[in-house]
Amino acid sequence: MSEGRRRVATVAKKELVEFVRDWRTIVAILVIPVLMFPVLFILFPLLLEAEAQELDALVVRVELQADAPPLMLLDALDQTGIDLVVVDLPPLQNLTDAYLDVERLRQGQLDALLRVRANNSTWEYATLHLSTSEQSNEARARVLSAVAEWERNETTFRIEAAGLDANNTLNPVVWNGSIADADAASRGEQAGLALSLFIPLVLAVWTFSSAIQPSIDMTAGERERGTLEALLGLPCTRLELLLGKWLAVATITAAGVLLQIAGLMFAIGYLATSDIIAVPSLSISVIGLLCIAVLLFAITVVAIELALAMRSHSVKEAGSVLGPAVLLILFPALFTQVINLDNIEMFWFAIPVVNILLALRELLLNRVVLSHITVWFLSSAVYATLAALYAARQFKREDIVTTLS
Amino acid sequence: MLVANGVSKSFGDVQALINVSLSIGEGEIIGLVGSNGAGKTTLLRLLAGVYRPSEGTLALGDGTDVAKGRRRLGVVPESTGLYSRLTAWENIRYHARLHGVPDDVAWTRTQHYARLLDMLPHLGRHTKGFSRGMRQKTALLRALAHHPSMLLLDEPTAGLDVTSARTVKQLVRSLGDEGKTVIYSTHQLAEAEQVCTRIIIIHNGEVRADGTPQQLLQFTETTNLEEAYVALSSDRARSVDQSEKALSGWSRRWRGLFTPRTPLSPGVSEDE
Repeated sequence: MSEGRRRVATVAKKELVEFVRDWRTIVAILVIPVLMFPVLFILFPLLLEAEAQELDALVVRVELQADAPPLMLLDALDQTGIDLVVVDLPPLQNLTDAYLDVERLRQGQLDALLRVRANNSTWEYATLHLSTSEQSNEARARVLSAVAEWERNETTFRIEAAGLDANNTLNPVVWNGSIADADAASRGEQAGLALSLFIPLVLAVWTFSSAIQPSIDMTAGERERGTLEALLGLPCTRLELLLGKWLAVATITAAGVLLQIAGLMFAIGYLATSDIIAVPSLSISVIGLLCIAVLLFAITVVAIELALAMRSHSVKEAGSVLGPAVLLILFPALFTQVINLDNIEMFWFAIPVVNILLALRELLLNRVVLSHITVWFLSSAVYATLAALYAARQFKREDIVTTLS
Repeated sequence: MLVANGVSKSFGDVQALINVSLSIGEGEIIGLVGSNGAGKTTLLRLLAGVYRPSEGTLALGDGTDVAKGRRRLGVVPESTGLYSRLTAWENIRYHARLHGVPDDVAWTRTQHYARLLDMLPHLGRHTKGFSRGMRQKTALLRALAHHPSMLLLDEPTAGLDVTSARTVKQLVRSLGDEGKTVIYSTHQLAEAEQVCTRIIIIHNGEVRADGTPQQLLQFTETTNLEEAYVALSSDRARSVDQSEKALSGWSRRWRGLFTPRTPLSPGVSEDE
């Protein structure tokens, strides 16, 4: 190994050792990304399911106000786990009039109230509930479900009473066959489409945000703590220092992003067993191109962050600059989600940030378009070079040893 | 060993050093004495190759540019520059490796000097909990691990207790005896007189005097170094507000909007 490369490796190794010894940073940059998607995709749905089961088991109190409640409605209400009380309908102009019932709902004496009255050949109904109470909302949902069931039965009854077939009358146009079989895309390709809207966003935002803290610590942090001056008096060039620090930040960022993707894949694998989503089908060349795209993006992002942090006079100033800069990634990332990839204009693949996000989207769909790859690769290589030159320029500034501390 | 010829250094409109010419030989222990903002640290950073001269030349005895001759230099900045999450030995080893010194060689040298500084039991400890004295001694060990021929020490005894300061001064003297050149910046004239074979007085960016303590007394026709220093720096020391200078125009103006004017605001001197 040449002396220069050895010094770069020494700087990177020391930065990584320091990083590993700070457990808070490890948790923030490595542990959280691993757990984020499993928690979001597995634990969160399980929690929602448990909550839904709890609500299903809940017995809600509903008062039905009607002079002569129709039997079909009573049957429907009987199947919804409602503790039903039937009383006479008070004299009301509109069924939503408050009367004395609103206060009873507010005081929790009732969860919901259903009013029903006959008007010639139709039925009129209204429900009263308290929208700020989850139990009241659940009661209303069950009442509306029972009313819908009653309406279907009533409709069928009336159609058949007129001598018609209820099913043919209500559904004159019907689908024939399996909906899944009608899609030419395989399940893996469908999964690729779903993930292409998601993974580029995660990769871009996480690459940028996970590099912020180490970039600041290794530049403005060193400057503020006074360690940079001692380092600059050593027989290594500033470019070697930059490369060593870049290598360390890139390693940390790559580890964070890879762990996050591993967490995502684990969650997808778990969901795939329940037929919710399939594992995307990607060729080896596409996976290789994905890695190149992410690498070019990481080179650019880490170099820019190191440069901006090095320009700052303090850790606080660097944080104020780099924190809001996440928006520079987030907005293009969100915007890229709505760009139609079919017949897309070539210039999109030359716009910074957007080009890599579009490349990732396209590759996750297993599409290899040579002209697109050429444009995003060349433009990203140019941006990465410019970012590296900018960072090198910042590292060569004489005033980086001065500090406000 | 080291020659500075007409060296000046400016930062924007601030002239930190003006036309400094020096010739430093082997084995000399040189005290750089001056008030705050005199230019001592700027001169040390120039000698360490951290800054480049705005004017003039600075080279090692064989004509090598100082930036290229850093292998021969050991630097202890005022802040000591230790990494708190590394142990004392890891701090030393990191710099030694960047100097291209094998770990076993650096360890042997470190052990030798650590015994003199009573630091041997502390080499495996993280520097986070170190006292100022221990930090200073670790920084000295780090600067010595690659066997430099010249040491640049920026206020090495500042903030140290009497015992630690004494140990550091003894080490500096013994390094001089070993033939190493030591350039030592300090505010303390008495300390410079105790330790140094030659004293350079810097004031407002200019070298006002350069010689042995006796030569300074003869030159200023005074009886002690304190009087000599006062005679050489009788004009008022400049005040350079580095923190304000470091801010860009917009930042300065923005800060000004939220800074109420007081009788001692910039532009109004105490004399007024």
